[in-house]
Amino acid sequence: MSCGFEEDLTAYLDGELPPARRGEVEAHLGTCAGCRATHALLRNAVARLAELPAYEPSPATRRAVLAKLDALPVPWWQRLKVLLRPAVLVPSVGLAAALGVALLMAGPGPEAPDELADPAVMELAANLEVAEDFEVLGLDSAEDLEVVANLHELEVTP
Amino acid sequence: MSAVDLDSDAQAMLKVAAGDRQAFAWLFDRYHASVARFAFRFVNDRERAEELTQDIFVKLYRHAGTYKPSARFKTFLFRVATNHCLNEVRRGEYRVSHTSSETPEGEETGAVEMAGPDGDRPDQALAGRELERVVGAALGDMSARERAAFTMCRFEGMAYRDIAEALEASEAAVKSLIHRATLAVARRIEELQAGTAPARSRA
Repeated sequence: MSCGFEEDLTAYLDGELPPARRGEVEAHLGTCAGCRATHALLRNAVARLAELPAYEPSPATRRAVLAKLDALPVPWWQRLKVLLRPAVLVPSVGLAAALGVALLMAGPGPEAPDELADPAVMELAANLEVAEDFEVLGLDSAEDLEVVANLHELEVTP
Repeated sequence: MSAVDLDSDAQAMLKVAAGDRQAFAWLFDRYHASVARFAFRFVNDRERAEELTQDIFVKLYRHAGTYKPSARFKTFLFRVATNHCLNEVRRGEYRVSHTSSETPEGEETGAVEMAGPDGDRPDQALAGRELERVVGAALGDMSARERAAFTMCRFEGMAYRDIAEALEASEAAVKSLIHRATLAVARRIEELQAGTAPARSRA
């Protein structure tokens, strides 16, 4: 009794066919006794399924689930959210900045990188604020450092 | 489900992701009966359905951080539920009991029994239990994906598109799954009505 339309009969019954195909199936049902019988069989089954009593879960399920949640470790995404809160993040950034300044003020240690032993680099550090005022970006050569060191010469004296 | 519902579900789930237990309780109250029905049809056992339902909601809470509100919440929930049920069945922790609803002595375990509405006549209650039994037997003979698609369609009224999303399958595949499953159930019911259905579930 199977034909090319049979698999669409359930979708037709469920209203899941696009309008064009629905029209084709309806036209086919008028001419195919096999598909009419299958359609009736399916329609009867769907109606009988609606008679089944609904399964009701136990009211204890809610308590059990909430108790299981209480026993869970804090998930990583919640820990991350806590760490990224401004109240935690801002003081942390401030602390890091203060630490950075303290290291700079203390000067290079015995194992400090060679760059920190270079007076030009230290001059740059001392003039960073001025450099930012002049929007000097991308300093990567000794000439750049010299320009920054002598920026005061560009200032117009009254 | 209206757009307002979708928004409120998604918003609640985002709150759950931020650790809001009240939002979780709200979603639980809203959907746990659906998940429990799905789990029950999947394993055909009340106790196992309860355990699965609990596990599914705990999993939902634990993975709330991965939820993206681009998907309908119910679809996301049923994807979690389907994957969990499939995994549990594959791992063998939950033997599907559709075909074992009676003890070797022939006594009913109650696995497929559900009380009818108060006031049912005995013959109506019996007819309901017989219907439940043949539907359970048909579900037990289906593949897990057919069972999942059939349950979402027939007992939750989900659209094929949403079922496809939950099963991560094409709509054409879902149409085929639901047709095969519905036809199998229809034939069992036809046998029951004709009085030719087996008296007991097959072991």
